[in-house]
Order: sequence, then structure tokens, then C-alpha cells
Amino acid sequence: MFLIRWLHKWFGLVLGLQFLLWAASGAVMALLDHHQVSAEHAILPVARIEAPAQPLPLAALSETVGAPILKLQFKPLFDTYVYEVTTAAGVQVLEATRGTPIPIDAAKAKALAVARYSGAEPVRSVERVDRPTLETRDLALPVWRVEFSDKDRTTLLVSATTGEVLGAKNDTWRLWDIAWMLHIMDYQERQSFNHPLIVTVAVGAAWLALSGLILLFRSFRRGDFAWILDPWERLAARRRARRPTARAGAHGAPQSASEDAG
Amino acid sequence: MRWPALARKTHKWLALLVAIQAVFWTLSGLYMTAVHIDIIHGDRLVKAPPSVPIDMTGLVEPAHLAHLAPGLLAARLERQLGEPVYVVETESGKALFDARTGAKLSPLTEAQARARARALFAEDGGIVSAELLTKAPLEVQTRPMPLWRVEFEGAWRPTFYISPFTGELVSRRHDLWRTFDFVWMFHIMDYDDRQDVNNPLIRVFTWMAVATAATGGWLLIYSFRRKRRVRKAAA
Repeated sequence: MFLIRWLHKWFGLVLGLQFLLWAASGAVMALLDHHQVSAEHAILPVARIEAPAQPLPLAALSETVGAPILKLQFKPLFDTYVYEVTTAAGVQVLEATRGTPIPIDAAKAKALAVARYSGAEPVRSVERVDRPTLETRDLALPVWRVEFSDKDRTTLLVSATTGEVLGAKNDTWRLWDIAWMLHIMDYQERQSFNHPLIVTVAVGAAWLALSGLILLFRSFRRGDFAWILDPWERLAARRRARRPTARAGAHGAPQSASEDAG
Repeated sequence: MRWPALARKTHKWLALLVAIQAVFWTLSGLYMTAVHIDIIHGDRLVKAPPSVPIDMTGLVEPAHLAHLAPGLLAARLERQLGEPVYVVETESGKALFDARTGAKLSPLTEAQARARARALFAEDGGIVSAELLTKAPLEVQTRPMPLWRVEFEGAWRPTFYISPFTGELVSRRHDLWRTFDFVWMFHIMDYDDRQDVNNPLIRVFTWMAVATAATGGWLLIYSFRRKRRVRKAAA
């Protein structure tokens, strides 16, 4: 038991800070409402518009694209139907009736973001993101970052290739993300929780917790629970004391004593 | 009460409440960090789709799709089992059409679901069972039903979930994922449906864990100082 106490102390000294950070970052993540963190309510569903009766025929489309088509989508993009064409060279977005390319430039990205934004606040900034950032680490780049001037600095991320709204971030997420970084101990990219550092520290922390649990059995004595055990035992003693006397009147003492023993 | 005694007492009593959960947290955390998330997701179970171009000649024209699928919202032309198909989205749901003949393929029969699962499975094992589920099991509780559940032979009971409406692989599961989901339940303390990371239990216990760790740190100050004194006295 002395060894376990010694180990608990030293593991606590070395790993205690990370244990505290895990508990605190976990507490923060548990407090932040995950609907708010996901910013899902900031994005409206795609608005329904009339599909064109005569979209470009496939032969004409193939000719316009000029490369073998791997995948083809026909879908609404804000105010018009488009063909989203995947070839070996990448993805193109073409207006569905004429086949004219729709470049996703800053103005288009802004319009697409505004159309899907559930709030009423105006756009604060539009920026193109070509290199991975904390906000765009899970997304296919390049994207347009369209930030709105609401309290939560809601930001819609619009694909610069397809024009699709890929996600949204807000200040609740940004705070959550700091807790997440501390929790998964990936201080650079905040992405991976499968690295040698965290596995090693987790083994140590598991021992810290387990040794603490073992020590509990040694740390408590009857006196620690006197506040609950004493009144309980007094109550039990009083009931024991009362029972024989109550029965003694009706049946006599010897019988009740034998009942008590049983 | 002296400060060291107060530190010891608070640490001890807080630990009495959180110790078992702390063991659960660290052990579940250890599993989640030790087994790589790509393995958990079952990436290796699924074959990468071959990028073969679609022959556009003789296919059903997009203009005709609205007649095949009233209330058409969107359509996707892709290859399934090597054949061109349209996956369409309408006001009344999703459907699958043969892109050459325009024949409706959905809802998929068992044979069609098995064929798609088989073609996507990256390992050698055969199919153990295939059944159409109408009530979502826990492991795909967030997915819309119905789904074809196709289980394979192989390590960790690999299982594919195929949509009868689109023919797509909606989800893949295996025992390492199921174990992850089980320990996740302990990690977020949602012992009910393993989803709510904001439940009252975890909100209370995490702050108690913060207090336990903090009082533990407080206790460290006295623990080491006292030991040095003992050594000096012994020397």
C-alpha cells in the first residue's frame, strides 16, 4: 500500500497537470451545447427551385466538358440548376441549360453563402482559403470563407470548386476547439488523437486513476463515516431495544428474545 | 483544521465520488487513442471505387428524369456494379434508376443488395447474412431506415449497411467500432443512447474531476515537503 501511495504521488506530480487539463477541457466541452458548437442551425436547407424542362443533353454536355466523365450531378445551386461534372482533371460546375461554366469567385461565394445563412446580419468578410487552417482542416480545399457580422462571428465555408456550403464555424466552436486541442494533445493541427504522446500519457493517467481508486480503500476509516453510521446505529439500537419490551407485555420476554436471535 | 489535513480530506472525499468514473475515463480514453480512428472507421474494409469513365451514348437524358421520378429535385449519374445508374432525389424521397433503360431499380432486392455489398467489400470473406432492417439498431441509430444489413465472414464481424433506395454504402461497422462505441458511452457518461455529450451527469462529474485534480495538486505541495523533512531527520 505504501508503494501504491508513493506511485500515486509521483504519477500525480508528473501527469497531474495533464489530468487537470483533461478534466477541465472535458468540462468545457460538456458545457458547450453541441448543437451550438456544430453551427448546424446557421445553415438553411437548399431552397427548392423549378428544375429546367430542357437541360443540356448528355451528348452536348460531353462535348462541352471535353474529357471522359466519371460522375455527373444535376442539382440546384442557389438560383439555378447546374451540372456538376467530375473528370480525371477535377470538378466543373456548368449552368444546366446552356452549359456555360459557373466560376465560384468571391462574389458568387458570397451570394451562395448569404442564400444559405439562417441569420439576417450582413457579410463582414470574404476570403479565399488555399492552405489548411484550423477552421477548414476537414474540408476539401480551396474554399471561400464567408464571415457574417453576427455576435457569434458565424462563418460559412463555401467550396471554391463546387459552390456547395461545406460547413459553418462560430465562436462557440472556436472556444470548443481550444478545449478539444488540450483534450487530444495535438497542439498543431488539433486533428489526431492517435499519437504516441497521448497514448503514453493515457497509460500513466489510467494508472493514476486506478491507484487512486485502490488507495480509497485504505484512506477511509469507520470514523470518516461516523456522521452517517452513528445515527443509523443509534436508530437501529433504539429499535432493537424497543422491540423486546413491546412484545414482553403480550408474549413474555423469553420468546421475544429467541425471535430476536433468529 | 490545518491546510494539509483540509487538502487531504477534500481530495479523499471528492475521489470517493469520481474515482470509478476516472478509471472509466482513462481506460476508455486509452482505447480510443491506441486504436487508430481510420481502423475504427473501417476504411480498409471498403474497396476504392475504380475511376472508369461513363459511356454517355444511349443513356436516359436528364430531361426525361422528371417523367420517371415526379417531383425531381436532383440527380446523380454514377456507376454501380459497373453499370450506369441515376440516383435521384425527389420530394417523396430517393430512388435508383438504370441509366440505360430507365427501369426503376429501387427498392433493392436482397440479391441486388448482396451484389453491391460484395462488390464493395475489400476482403475475401463471404456473406454470412443479409436482412432488411426497418428499425434502426444502436450501431446505425442516426441513419434513416430501412437499410439492408449485410454481414461478412472475417475478423471483427464486418457489416455493411446498404440503402435500398440509392444502393449506396451508408455505413460500415465491425467489432472494433462497436467496442469504440461502447467505451465512448463510458467516456461521455451517456449510459442511455451514447450520443448526448451535454448530459447533466457528465457536466457535474467533469467539474468534480477538475476539483479532484486541483486538490490533488494542492496535496502534492505538502506530500513532497514532508518527505524531505523525514529524510533530514533520518540523516
